[in-house]
Amino acid sequence: MTLRPEPKTSAVAVAKKADGPQSGARRVLKRLSRKPLAIIAALWILFIAFCALNADWLAPYDPLLNNFTPEGILQGPNPAHWLGTDENGRDTLSRLLYGARVALMVGFGSVLVAMVIGVPIGLVLGYRGGWADRIGTRFVDIIDALPGMLVAFAVIAILGRGLPSVMLGIGLIFCMNFARMARAITLAERSKLYVDAARVSGIREIAILFRQVLPNLAGPLVIQGAILTGAAIIIESALSFLGIGLESSVPSWGGLLGAAVRQQLVQPFFAFPPGITILLTVLAFNILGDAISEALAGDSRKRVKRIKRRAVADPSVALTAAATHASRISGVPTEGPADPDHVLEVRGLGVSLYGPGAPVPLVRDVWLGIKKGEVVGLLGESGSGKSMLARSILGLLPPGIGVTTGSILLDGREIAGARERDLRDVRGRKLAAVFQDPMAALSPVHTVGTQLTEVLHAHFKLSRGAARARAAELLDRVGVSNAAKRLNDYPHQFSGGMAQRVAIAMALAANPDLVIADEATSALDVTTQAQVLDLLLDLRDEFGMGILLITHDLGVVAEACDRAVVMYAGEIVETADVTDLFDRPRHPYTAALLASNPNAESESKRLAVIPGRVPLAGQWPDGCHFANRCPFAVEACTAGSVPLIDDVRCIRVDELRLEKVAP
Amino acid sequence: MTIETSTAAPETTAPVEDRALLVVRDLRVAYQSTRMFGRKRGVEVVKGVSFHIGAGETFGLVGESGSGKSTTGRAILRLIPSASGSIEFAGTEVTAFGRRTPLSYRRDVQAVFQDPSMSLNPRQPVSDALLAALKRHGMSSRAERWRVAAEAFDQVGLQRAHLDRYPGELSGGQQQRVAIARALVLKPKLVVCDEAVSALDLSTQSQIINLLCDLQEQTGMSYLFIAHDLGIVRHLSDRVGVMRQGELVEVATPEELFTRAKHPYTRRLLGATPADHPEGRERRREVRAQWARVHALEEELSDPA
Repeated sequence: MTLRPEPKTSAVAVAKKADGPQSGARRVLKRLSRKPLAIIAALWILFIAFCALNADWLAPYDPLLNNFTPEGILQGPNPAHWLGTDENGRDTLSRLLYGARVALMVGFGSVLVAMVIGVPIGLVLGYRGGWADRIGTRFVDIIDALPGMLVAFAVIAILGRGLPSVMLGIGLIFCMNFARMARAITLAERSKLYVDAARVSGIREIAILFRQVLPNLAGPLVIQGAILTGAAIIIESALSFLGIGLESSVPSWGGLLGAAVRQQLVQPFFAFPPGITILLTVLAFNILGDAISEALAGDSRKRVKRIKRRAVADPSVALTAAATHASRISGVPTEGPADPDHVLEVRGLGVSLYGPGAPVPLVRDVWLGIKKGEVVGLLGESGSGKSMLARSILGLLPPGIGVTTGSILLDGREIAGARERDLRDVRGRKLAAVFQDPMAALSPVHTVGTQLTEVLHAHFKLSRGAARARAAELLDRVGVSNAAKRLNDYPHQFSGGMAQRVAIAMALAANPDLVIADEATSALDVTTQAQVLDLLLDLRDEFGMGILLITHDLGVVAEACDRAVVMYAGEIVETADVTDLFDRPRHPYTAALLASNPNAESESKRLAVIPGRVPLAGQWPDGCHFANRCPFAVEACTAGSVPLIDDVRCIRVDELRLEKVAP
Repeated sequence: MTIETSTAAPETTAPVEDRALLVVRDLRVAYQSTRMFGRKRGVEVVKGVSFHIGAGETFGLVGESGSGKSTTGRAILRLIPSASGSIEFAGTEVTAFGRRTPLSYRRDVQAVFQDPSMSLNPRQPVSDALLAALKRHGMSSRAERWRVAAEAFDQVGLQRAHLDRYPGELSGGQQQRVAIARALVLKPKLVVCDEAVSALDLSTQSQIINLLCDLQEQTGMSYLFIAHDLGIVRHLSDRVGVMRQGELVEVATPEELFTRAKHPYTRRLLGATPADHPEGRERRREVRAQWARVHALEEELSDPA
């Protein structure tokens, strides 16, 4: 069983931020400039635009100059007429150059018409919602369902031939396209809190629509506009080809192509210049549109190389082991076989992000042992590296992030260097996980029963009937009432708390030795949270598995854990029995966290605060990571890396304990 | 409905309300879900809620998701219409405003929402939110608007350099400070804080809570503090209302609530709230297990199937 939720890689964001603030447009341009095809496409469009603007000056002949002499009409390429002449003896090159003018005017003009009509419709429909939206959207659908060419025919039939009516006709074909897009984006943006916030500020609806929502449309509009400009050129060419677009005297690419077809037998070359020009131009607009779309999507599609786990089984590279030469650190042996009591041993683990520059450490020098039947709380704020630690144990590190040093022993077996194939056998049977969002762990298209029996079948080779009976038993055990019947339900039919129970049942299906619960109760209401925590404790009492409970909530640690591990900026700062941790915190960070938690004893309204914020990975200070926020910091704190001694990572631990004890 | 309340005067008598800034009486809010063929079906999510908030007071509203606490806040902010009942703010009936909300109300009642990254437009520098609000409320001088915005940033502990930043360039705590500055800049009388610190890390949370307390002391504004975390609500509030399934089941001072809660639901909520010390947790777990057995029994009795 593989539970792979959305990787929450706050650490990866660090690497992006390191580039420094940059405006969105500039970033997009920079990304565009790295795509050679996009540059060629853009150059071609610029070239066409240049031709269109300077046609008067570039064209060797007047595009309307007829030459009806027999040697003047329908010539092939020759020194006087590079691309030959048409049936009226007009110069093809000149007509092509002037045709660029028409093509671009029709292309941009009709897209502009479509935007001007479509976007406001979409904005209003999306923002208003309700009945207006329902009727309006149907109306948009109906218009969109009309064959495009027919619409254009109708407009031209009513208004007569000519550039404006062609632009309007094509614009009408496209406008519903824009309306739909604008509506979809507005609908998504409307429910966002910043729109509510603007309303609370008293901002007028119209201002919200145009100043707050419209900017979100800019990117998609540019993409769609570029692609449709190409399409508009094709439609104009088709209309002119059919002889109903522009007057035949007006130089347009489609008109040229139409004439070429009529004279195909006399002068076959005549079709190539307009045909190739149309092809390249439309292609260029499409390529550019795609490239902009990719550049806007940007970072999400960034290619990251997958880092092979570079486990080094030698823990002596780890900080504390090197500094102290102790045989055990935090109860974990530094060398040799694992302690038989331990389900999990993490020895001097380091995890780093491999980016373009030097590797950025995300987690370092982690020593952790979990006994059978023990609930260990891993407490930390965001940026502490607690989730990265969990992922490295599960072998679910995101691409670009890998284990650099240390080892992870599960029941004495090294899993930090293990291959995916070997891990598959370990996950589920020995190691299982429950994540924050149960829906991410459950497949939405299969019933809960199918998913549970699949796991049971994979691990125990149970028959269908037996697996189903066991699945019902499991569901019943985790407190899902009417379990046998609910096996047929899909995950979305369960409430958040119930879905988390199902996810726990899945995790327990193969009787694992260790369960990693990564913020498993953070999204739940307090009463549901208490139920799920109680359930985990009951299951621990019954099956005796170890639990690593990852949380940012002091209360969860207080309620459920036997031992607590406090992480700060990638390092463990303190490990202690839970009562000791709350009664006698030894690391200044732990003490500050406890003090900043609003509780009954706090007399004054003011809470103790920790100034500043958790440093981002890659920006960790030298020496103690907490030193710059610590009220007890002295110069020595920043002198060099601080090892984890006697379960605390603080060079002043002995002096500070005295200060704490003194009333 | 009757409300269990431990204040000396019942919630609905005049003397208290005369001094109150906000008086909510029998507020009902329903979400309309229209089926095919236009048959309307209202789902009532707030079912007759009454409470008041005095000037300079913090009223905490706790409850689980779906209890209607946020909906109540949104109705007061006029982000959603109320079905019936009355909301009286500084003597003015808010539900009688009709479609348009007067600017004076928009100035007096502000909000700080849960997710600061969502409550700021990602495509605008953070100063825009403040400047647009100031402009709308009649501050025509551009220099003046910038001066006031910069002062608000000082007040919430941000640097002026932050004015030009985009939300994505700020940390969660800084974003929430911007959101508070946006509310503050209009000098409101009431700020609805809807889970305003829930998305923040522990150490940032305490910074923001302190900031909210300090600002209240300086300006004398009132808070409607909506949260699911009883610990924070207890710390901040002068009085606390407990909501469950659209109803306000109990209103009391934090001390009363934590020592002698009257409603069984409040007691259950307190029992489920993680304590701030491991001591006595076995006992708490036992109580919860007992309660779960009782609850299961109740369900069995009420459900004949």
